Amino acid sequence: MKFKKIILGILVVGIVGAFVAYKIYNKPHLDITEASADITISANNLMQDFSSDENTANTKYLDKIIQVKGVISETKIENEIGIITLKTNDNFGSILCHLSKEATKKINTLKEGQTITVKGICTGYLMDVILVKAEII
Amino acid sequence: MKPIFTLICCFLLITISNSQERYLTKNGAINFFSKAPMEDITADNNQVLSIVDATNNKMAISILMKSFLFEKALMQEHFNENYVESDKFPKATFKGTILNFDAINEVASKQQVKGILTIHGVEKEITIDANFTKTVDSILVDGDFVINLEDFEVEIPAVVAKNIAKNIKVSFKFNHKPYKK
Repeated sequence: MKFKKIILGILVVGIVGAFVAYKIYNKPHLDITEASADITISANNLMQDFSSDENTANTKYLDKIIQVKGVISETKIENEIGIITLKTNDNFGSILCHLSKEATKKINTLKEGQTITVKGICTGYLMDVILVKAEII
Repeated sequence: MKPIFTLICCFLLITISNSQERYLTKNGAINFFSKAPMEDITADNNQVLSIVDATNNKMAISILMKSFLFEKALMQEHFNENYVESDKFPKATFKGTILNFDAINEVASKQQVKGILTIHGVEKEITIDANFTKTVDSILVDGDFVINLEDFEVEIPAVVAKNIAKNIKVSFKFNHKPYKK
């Protein structure tokens, strides 16, 4: 009897363990639509923070959900991903927002010069500050 | 006076049109693929910055490591935190020279690009074969190459050695447009 109980115990632990491992392995990506923004900022200020001190800006913004308000300078679709460019005062740089699949469907409703708010994950600064998986708010 | 003024304007225009020698893309695509016995892992980055300078045949590429998107959130987390340590090394770069730039034309041709690839803070000289196509208003570059993780001091723990390949296939596609502004 005792032997059976031990076997049963091990089995239960094993199944639970496997289930937890499976859950962790398949952990879903962060849902941007549901999650609230970590930082809300204007396109200009975001650009300025990155162009003046990239390292500090990296620690402040990378991997965070950022809500940016700005004026559209260009919209396009490349490789089935919608891309919105937001104007800044900087000569070269702008905010490049790569949209999520759902948000890409709405890109046709947007016009150049329109002021919008976009929420996305900041991945860094090359010439432009880049947001990925962005949603239009 | 007037003809001289016109002449100067003409010269200015010529220099402006001639200075159109930089080609750039902000939406270059890089994909990497790891084939291992346990699983295949692939990740895409569509925010690669690539510049071709036709005046000196140079090519410069900047890649944000955090822009690589994986199918599974856990893979992305491990990639950034454990393997490439993207907080410490947020960018990968390539700076190189297109060896036979003058041979590039409308017909796709294989050319070699030789330069320094920096990943995970480690610099390595590399020569890559890529297909080049040049038209009036674009330079298209695509191809693939293999990198060895040990070369860039990316350590894979023994536990997941069966999940991650030692050699990673990297594919790229950059559609450069003339740079205006």
